[in-house]
Amino acid sequence: MARLNLKNVNKRWGNYVAVKDFDLDIADQEFLVLLGPSGCGKSTTMRMIAGLEDVTEGEIWLGDRMVNDLEPKDRDISMVFQSYGLYPNLTVYENIRFPLRVRKVPKDKHDEMVMTAIRMVELEQFMHRRPAELSGGQRQRVALGRAIVRKPTVFLMDEPLSNLDAKLRVSTRAQIKNLQSKLKTTTVYVTHDQIEAMTLADRVVVMNKGEIQQVGTPTQIYDHPANTFVASFIGSPAMNLIPGTLRGGTFTGDGITVTGLTAPDGDMTLGFRAEDAEITESGGQIAAPVYAVELLGEASMISWRLGDALVSVKTAKDYRAETGQMVEASVPAAICHLFDTQTGKALPR
Amino acid sequence: MARPTNAQPLPLMVLSLGFIALWLIAAAFPFVWTAWGSFKVEPDFFSRSDWTNAITGVQTIRQTGSAFTGAGYEGAWLEQEFWKSVINTAIVTLCVTVISLTFGTLGGYALARSGYRYTFWILIAALIFRAMPHVTLVSGYLLPFFELGIWGYLPTTIIVLVAINQPFTLWMLHSFFLSIPKDLDESAMVDGCTRFQAFRLAVIPVMWPGVVTTGLFSFLLAYNDFTVTSMLLTQENQTMVPKIASFLGSTQAEGKVMYAVAAVVSAIAPLFVLVLFFQRQIVSGLTAGAVKG
Repeated sequence: MARLNLKNVNKRWGNYVAVKDFDLDIADQEFLVLLGPSGCGKSTTMRMIAGLEDVTEGEIWLGDRMVNDLEPKDRDISMVFQSYGLYPNLTVYENIRFPLRVRKVPKDKHDEMVMTAIRMVELEQFMHRRPAELSGGQRQRVALGRAIVRKPTVFLMDEPLSNLDAKLRVSTRAQIKNLQSKLKTTTVYVTHDQIEAMTLADRVVVMNKGEIQQVGTPTQIYDHPANTFVASFIGSPAMNLIPGTLRGGTFTGDGITVTGLTAPDGDMTLGFRAEDAEITESGGQIAAPVYAVELLGEASMISWRLGDALVSVKTAKDYRAETGQMVEASVPAAICHLFDTQTGKALPR
Repeated sequence: MARPTNAQPLPLMVLSLGFIALWLIAAAFPFVWTAWGSFKVEPDFFSRSDWTNAITGVQTIRQTGSAFTGAGYEGAWLEQEFWKSVINTAIVTLCVTVISLTFGTLGGYALARSGYRYTFWILIAALIFRAMPHVTLVSGYLLPFFELGIWGYLPTTIIVLVAINQPFTLWMLHSFFLSIPKDLDESAMVDGCTRFQAFRLAVIPVMWPGVVTTGLFSFLLAYNDFTVTSMLLTQENQTMVPKIASFLGSTQAEGKVMYAVAAVVSAIAPLFVLVLFFQRQIVSGLTAGAVKG
């Protein structure tokens, strides 16, 4: 089995820095998700692991082999692409068999291996069709089948669900999770969708502008964002962030005052999650006219405009308020996160 | 009579059918006329007294006893050794097509997949060379070829024709390769192929319509070329087109012109077969190149 080790990996095109000092140990059998907005370097990082891009600086170790100078075919990885990358002239069966054929796996083993893979991705009744005759979800399952057929040491998945519709995405996501737990293969998964990251990952790497922002379990990332970028990227809705100042344990921002915080004085950004705060009759830290009331189905979301910041709080689904009506919310110090406004970094709580 | 709801008004239909008929006559008449006339004798096909002689064949009947004669073909193919030109043309077109396609697919693929800026300038340079009249290249070749003693041979002509044709094949195949997603070669490479295997096993099978279309255009260029072949080949190495031209140029002896007519028909026939045989690939190739997907 395989550990994957990236040592200070950099990727530059001329002056443009795509990935900067990426340093990470990926444990054997781990499901690691690279998460970030588009252009953050997550796909480039994966493509360097695959060998489809050269590493400008740093080392990539797969198990006890340094793979920097190996061709993709010699790295013993398999990859699932966003646009599937299926061979349009071959049937599903032949598509899945292709890696065995080019890798000169003995012919008598092909059928058994291909059929195992086909059963795992549930494509038995489509195995003699060509990709053009399949739906998007089925095509992505063919790509998955082709990735698992030869039991590689590492799976790489580059936004495999992005081309699928919402419903199919949920079921295929579950299927990927199930496959990975059965096969116990180290997996690196790239996505810009934080829900995919939260549901699938053992560990999440949040990236922005080519740099790692935070590495941690989904819970850690959600509960203790390391900086304002992670706080504003993770969660639906993202964490409320309000700029202001801290003096003697009291935070004061536009339309909000929170007492009982323990941190040094200075310019701070206060953050809290919409579901942690509550609507209250009186004595709330926020008291302002309602900007909007949105029904989410399982809850209602009330939002205020505090200075430039839009602040939301989740409440019971039967809660009703008019736009412009004064509503208060309690934001106790216990649910608050403080970030240094200058650096964006979270302060220890 | 049930008419489809989108039926055109009658005058428009008559007009469009009339136009098609007119175009068909304009396009096909020379071929039909030449093919028919190739079985007549010269005084009929080039009759000074009555043009209908070319259709009825009065002189042909008088001279040979039958309305049709194969004398033109016999003279061209056997007496004038037109069969040699046919073989020469076959060699030239086959070599030009194969060489152009080999370099074209490899180069087009490389240019389509390369991330470097200079690929753009290579393609622009190719376009400029493509735009030049062929004869400008030939005049420059003549002296060096004489000096080197390689003038007049088939391989020399093949190299020149490939040089003229290559920019076009590069452009055409380049745009075909661009329409094939990069993911295809990359998944092949991750699946265990080298770059070249990915090209051969994953990309080329999808590329066939493009290769066939480009190949056909290369074939036509070599097959129809007059400028290069007429100036760079000796009498005995001539291909069909300059050979036909030389028949037309020698009108001293009666009947020689009919050799040209017969030879022309012989040269056209393979083209019909070729286009009919490949028409599906050509059409799908043309549209595949036009619509990027």
